[in-house]
Amino acid sequence: MMDTVIATLISGLLLGSLYAMMASGLSLVWTTLGVFNFSHGALMMLGAFVAWTVGEGAGLGVWIGSFSGIAAAMVAGVIIEYFLVRPFYGSRNMLLVTVMTTLAAMIIIEKGAQIIWGSRLKQSPRLFEGDISIGGAIISRQEAFIIVLAPLVLFAIWRFATVTATGRSLRAVGQNQDAAALIGINVNRAFSIAFALSAGLAGLTGVLLGSIRFITPSLGAEPLTKAMIVVIFGGLGSMGATAGAAYVIGFLEAFLILWLGLYWTPFILFVVMITVLILRPNGLFGRK
Amino acid sequence: MSAFLDVENLHAGYGTVPVLRGVSIRLDQGESIGLFGPNGHGKTTLLRCISGLLPSSQGTIRFDGVEITKTRPSDIVAQGLVHAQQGNTLFGDMGVAETLALSAFVPRARKTSTETLEYVYELFPRLAERRKQLAKTLSGGERQMLSIGCALMCNPRLLILDEPTLGLSPKLKQELCDATAKIAARGIPLIIVEQDVDFLLTLTDRLYLIDHGTVEREIAADNAPDHAEIVKMYFGAEDA
Amino acid sequence: MTRNRLFTITLVGIAALFFPMIFQDSYTRHLAILALIFAVIVSNWDLSLGFAGLFNFGHTTFFGVGVYTAAILAKTFEVNPWLAMIAGGLSAAVVAVIIAAPVAKLKGIYVVLVTFAFSQLALQLVLSQGQITGGAEGMVRIPSLRIGDYNFARDFKLGYYYTALGLTAISTTFLLLVARSPFGKSLRAVRDNEDYATARGISVARQRILVLVVSAIFTGIAGGFYAVYLRVASPEVFGFATLSLALSMVLIGGTGTIIGPIFAALVLTFVSEGMAGIRGFEEARFIVIAVTMIAILRIAPGGAIDLMSKAVSIGRPPPTDLKSKNT
Repeated sequence: MMDTVIATLISGLLLGSLYAMMASGLSLVWTTLGVFNFSHGALMMLGAFVAWTVGEGAGLGVWIGSFSGIAAAMVAGVIIEYFLVRPFYGSRNMLLVTVMTTLAAMIIIEKGAQIIWGSRLKQSPRLFEGDISIGGAIISRQEAFIIVLAPLVLFAIWRFATVTATGRSLRAVGQNQDAAALIGINVNRAFSIAFALSAGLAGLTGVLLGSIRFITPSLGAEPLTKAMIVVIFGGLGSMGATAGAAYVIGFLEAFLILWLGLYWTPFILFVVMITVLILRPNGLFGRK
Repeated sequence: MSAFLDVENLHAGYGTVPVLRGVSIRLDQGESIGLFGPNGHGKTTLLRCISGLLPSSQGTIRFDGVEITKTRPSDIVAQGLVHAQQGNTLFGDMGVAETLALSAFVPRARKTSTETLEYVYELFPRLAERRKQLAKTLSGGERQMLSIGCALMCNPRLLILDEPTLGLSPKLKQELCDATAKIAARGIPLIIVEQDVDFLLTLTDRLYLIDHGTVEREIAADNAPDHAEIVKMYFGAEDA
Repeated sequence: MTRNRLFTITLVGIAALFFPMIFQDSYTRHLAILALIFAVIVSNWDLSLGFAGLFNFGHTTFFGVGVYTAAILAKTFEVNPWLAMIAGGLSAAVVAVIIAAPVAKLKGIYVVLVTFAFSQLALQLVLSQGQITGGAEGMVRIPSLRIGDYNFARDFKLGYYYTALGLTAISTTFLLLVARSPFGKSLRAVRDNEDYATARGISVARQRILVLVVSAIFTGIAGGFYAVYLRVASPEVFGFATLSLALSMVLIGGTGTIIGPIFAALVLTFVSEGMAGIRGFEEARFIVIAVTMIAILRIAPGGAIDLMSKAVSIGRPPPTDLKSKNT
């Protein structure tokens, strides 16, 4: 019994780690630009595919592959911001329009991936092979790596946002765009940076996912929905709330799978999310 | 001699609504000017055009000989033209010290940031007492001080203050007036927009009355008509 | 309705009636039928999205629910396909109530996320309850429509065509009536200025529930029709491809106009299926559609959302240059 609980806890940690990294990218773009990036999942998938192609296909190895995947996602993010988000800034229905343009971007990336890489399942090799045992439960080294990496990544983001001038400038732009411009911050550049970072996070998550799951063009669809549940649950207001909500959902999901099985879990998670929203229309910790 | 700031025949508006209809003002080396006039007639719009937040449809703006009509706001700040907006708009979730530190963003500001920060705390002791406080929890007067403090941190060659005493108690008004005088005394030329014409007269060399989107009158501060005249101008102008 | 408009619509209606005389082959009629189905879907979507200004991203859920309801009723429970089709509309309306309840009080982005999440949930449900729904493979050999002994698939789908046409006509008339009704006016009021409308006593929450339910009815029936026409039900109906295709029709047709999306549906269905026929374009056509969607949004000033037909616009506030985060 005990090792099932431990196994579930670890599973929850793993899910929470992945969700935290995914959702923080979404939250970053939301708090800085006020945009919900529907192509976030597709950027993940792009990262996974590029990592695979460079790492496996071209044989350049896992590390170079991983960095290429992240880089590719970042480039795509900058392009999306420039062509599909920036032209609509300040317009009356910016939120809805950018939802649609980023949705279109998702379609383009997904179908593009379908055409380029096809539907046959692929998987990237792991950075760390083998398994380790924690309290009786067995987990692969790669998954343990992810669990350790996530808090480090979150910490790095936090330090970036609070200590560096660039990070602070992103927060400033998110809170008051005009005031930010008037202290000399180049708002357009801030947008690009925010999107690039967000896309980089998506790419990183994709690269990691690609090593423990199979890579297909629709790799990003389910994580996007989960990330959505996380940001709805935690509220889009702050990145800290998003990270917290991610781990909560991760654990919740792991235990639900244990008790209710795989079939009913998405449904219950969903019901939980809706309930939270009814009680607190701005999310559990949300502010706006 | 070319002006330090030269605005020529500026036209601007919001969407289809024109606000500025050919405004021309000038700030020469070594002087400070004031803008006053009824609300909604273009003072803030003019400032937003100068600082680059609002594009103009016609006319030119020159700062120290360089044309900045189509320059983006961050580049204008980088050249030393700084605008402290009306209504103490700030970054609600950032602390006082954090905001001031961030405001030394452009290269010319980073060079002088340490001394300027000391100066700002000296000028506004209240800010020094509230270094870690979040901007949104500050009182109106404190936010105004922070707003001016941020503008100073940008190391301005020309400072624009939009209604610095708006909504403040007489005591705070006096505090801010004194602080502004000290800033002017340091040698930073100012453009001040204010309702309080007396405030302007003590701090500036020339005043412009902005009415219906144009310059109605230009008054030299040392040759100003008496108070009653100005009030008449101010309110009388509204009927025009 | 202006004289010109009435004239155009009558003209189109007559052309539609005689369409099968000119195009007697099965494939063209098939495209026309699909086009009409999409026309119903997207014009109803326009009611909630464009006309009422509700950021509803779960509209294809109604369609999918209609499809599966009819499929399960007609095939598994051997209900009369006509009734199954209507039942599709009813169940879609019920689902609309379920979705609308939490959505009623949410703001902006949360409406998008929750309605969208519902569509994913529906997809999940369909995939997981394989015994009833056929799971990922879907259902096949759903009974076809017939009157007495006459199977509608005969005569190169003639019967199906006229049914689709009739459905479209009824749905459109219904939508236009709703648009002109006091309810319709109150929807526009809420869209254009929510705070003011609330101050005037209009219950936004109730509006949202009503408009979602109203827009779901014929969408669900269209779904039911789709099931008994194609005789297959697949989870694809809940997917992104269907969603983006429908959305592009709404956008290109012009949001808030109701009629616009119908024409867009007719044109785009032919274009889309036509592209599917070209080798190598089956997947790429979605990229073309997505790019078109973006182009429309870029080129129409302020986004296609602002491109309302004159008959529908009510004193819009002038656009400002102030950059603000829209919620």
